[in-house]
Amino acid sequence: MRKLPRSLRFYVAASTLYAALIFIAVQFIYTIELAQSGIVIALRDSGDVLSSIQLVSFIVWLGISLIAAVIMYRLAMALAGARSAEAEAKTSEERKDQELGSIFGLSSALAGPQDLEQIGAYFVSAVRGAVPLDMTLALIVYDDVLEAFRTVAADGPRAGPLRGRSYSAVALPSIVRVRVIDHRQSLVVADTSADPTMWAKVAEEMPPLAGARSFAALPLVSRERLVGALLLLGERAGDLTPDKAQLPVIMGQYVAGSIHSALSVKEAEARAEREGLVNRIAQRARASLDPTEILRGTVDELSKALGVSRGIVAAGESENDLSVLYEWDAPGVPPVGLGARSIPVASFAARLGRTIVVRDVHQDPRFAEPETATLDQLRVVAIAATPIRVGGQLAGALALSQIDRAREWTADDVRLIEAVAQELRVAITAAEAFERQRAAVVELERLNRAKSDFVSIVSHEFRTPLTGIQGFSEMMRSEELTLDEMREYAGDINKDAHRLNRMITEMLDLDKMESGRMKLHREPLDLNTIVSESVDRLRPNAPQHPVSLRLDPLIGEMTGDRDKLTQVMANLLNNAVKYSPNGGEIVVSTRVEGNTAHVVVRDHGMGIPKEALDAIFERYGRVESPATRHIQGTGLGLPIVRQIVQLHGGTVWAESSVGEGSLFHVSLPLRTDARSGVAEAAS
Amino acid sequence: MSRVVFCEDDPMIRKLVETALRSTTHEVHIAVDGREGFALIQRVRPDVVFSDVSMPVMDGFELADAIHATPDLAHIPIVFMTASVQREQIEECFRHGAAGHLAKPFTMAELRARVAQFSKS
Repeated sequence: MRKLPRSLRFYVAASTLYAALIFIAVQFIYTIELAQSGIVIALRDSGDVLSSIQLVSFIVWLGISLIAAVIMYRLAMALAGARSAEAEAKTSEERKDQELGSIFGLSSALAGPQDLEQIGAYFVSAVRGAVPLDMTLALIVYDDVLEAFRTVAADGPRAGPLRGRSYSAVALPSIVRVRVIDHRQSLVVADTSADPTMWAKVAEEMPPLAGARSFAALPLVSRERLVGALLLLGERAGDLTPDKAQLPVIMGQYVAGSIHSALSVKEAEARAEREGLVNRIAQRARASLDPTEILRGTVDELSKALGVSRGIVAAGESENDLSVLYEWDAPGVPPVGLGARSIPVASFAARLGRTIVVRDVHQDPRFAEPETATLDQLRVVAIAATPIRVGGQLAGALALSQIDRAREWTADDVRLIEAVAQELRVAITAAEAFERQRAAVVELERLNRAKSDFVSIVSHEFRTPLTGIQGFSEMMRSEELTLDEMREYAGDINKDAHRLNRMITEMLDLDKMESGRMKLHREPLDLNTIVSESVDRLRPNAPQHPVSLRLDPLIGEMTGDRDKLTQVMANLLNNAVKYSPNGGEIVVSTRVEGNTAHVVVRDHGMGIPKEALDAIFERYGRVESPATRHIQGTGLGLPIVRQIVQLHGGTVWAESSVGEGSLFHVSLPLRTDARSGVAEAAS
Repeated sequence: MSRVVFCEDDPMIRKLVETALRSTTHEVHIAVDGREGFALIQRVRPDVVFSDVSMPVMDGFELADAIHATPDLAHIPIVFMTASVQREQIEECFRHGAAGHLAKPFTMAELRARVAQFSKS
């Protein structure tokens, strides 16, 4: 029989006490009233009547008090009920769990947040009481962070090899995977020897199960989610049957909720930690534009968070030209070194365009010699690498490696590495932009220097003829001169004006040629004639320079621009004279070499330093030295030569030794196809 | 009447100087480069030297150094004639002990005034 609720008992006691007090008071009043009213009732005769009245009134009062007590109790309950409405609102499932829990004594044990190991221990000890003593129990839980099943508790004779293990879903026996994991149904094998083929397969797939005589795998499902499974291994056939498994199944239902909560807490913590790290890294990446600083902030942090030995960021636009941009090494780990080098796994990830994880390079079929040798040299055993892409283009790779030991890379590690690689795009882009900008600044500085050099050269060269023009014209204007003097000075002015004009023309010509607006007037010509005519024009102006001519008669006719080729010869010959101020023989020769005509102009002048041999063909690339300071020129003579020769599809180069003289070589195609080469491209 | 030495490699400017100073009383000697100029200076002991800077064989600065290194010539003032009017080059002229600077192109009046300035009257 149910006991009365505690609070009702209080009301009943209170009402009874109240009724008794009223009864005594009423009896007292009655006795006095009766005595006073003069009705003398003999005790003997009237005792029955009096006591009857007393009894009736007592019963009436007691009834009234009890009714009042019940009413008051109901009222109090209604009030309390309203207050605890929230507490009352428990789901039926939870009530059921609570009931089940209380049945197995798990209720208090599993109240409040628990870690998986604690839950596992309580659960296994609770199930232990419901199954034969020699049965082996193992609780495996699906760990989202590991993306694998992990044994959280095991007990019994066969528990040893099951403890502390984790299995990816595919590592479980296929029958367990399909039945229990995928379809969430219980699998009970009452006698493992009944179907030896099936059991042999199970034993092969999961050796710790091999010795069991009966077996059950029970799914643990909470709120539509499979959180794990309970494995039972019986020592005798028939230890486990669907009936005998019923109790563990019910207990499993109860514990699944707790496992679910524990997993959720763990996952949330892991997620929060990961997000915190990624946020921290992102903040660092964005706090600076200095690529090295960004890399220091991100790669160091990631490497430390993952506990790897080494973190590398490589930059490059293809997997074959990756170059180490930044490196973090744990204390005692030998550095790889910055710059271009072979980083096999990063290259592999870059080629595939996705993250590559390697648990142990020596057991990974994707890597062989010479990659493994490279990795061995760096003592790398495990490595994870992911490509860094900027705007769909490969920009580099992030690689994290573990030296001297294998390492499992969790899905969480991979997500973290990929998230950081995303952030590194900023650093890589900044580094590239930085480099581009630096290169642009260097180029601008060079151009600016060339320009100011040019301005100073040109202003100097232009002022010399201007001095003559200005001076002679001034004299003509302000002095008494004879007609002959007038004529003479006018002639001088004219000469300087021509000189000025030539300088301007040269500048404009070069500009035209360099911008591809110069057209050649091709015609059949004899190169030997052009060379010898140019030499003839030079001779009167170079009395100190004997010129000898060695012409190859086999050259014959070729096509080209007569005026331009004459200009080439004139510039080369003038240079030969200008840069041999102490005189000396000038030798000009032509000869046929296969399909080309080779012209050489040799002087015995001051020569050109080796490092300047290419620069002299650049605009304003004149060699500036005390020895050449006095030599006039716009610095455009050789650039013009090169342009003209290139327009003819030929090449020009110089060889020289300082103090001994220079050789200028011009090589022109002999029988040019009129449609060929640079000439057409330029026109 | 004073003696003046000019060193100038450009034939047109040589001719201009010669013509411009013909009508004055100065004794004008003209050389085509620094080496020839130095020989001339040693021979004629001028009151002033006008020299171009850019010249073959021996340039104006080398000439100035040579003059300053010769005790009995060191007192001769040197005026550089340069086509460059850039501050750096003018400063370089004065570092080489220039007494004056004449920028090309110059007017005849400028030329005559400069020559007169350094002449013993």
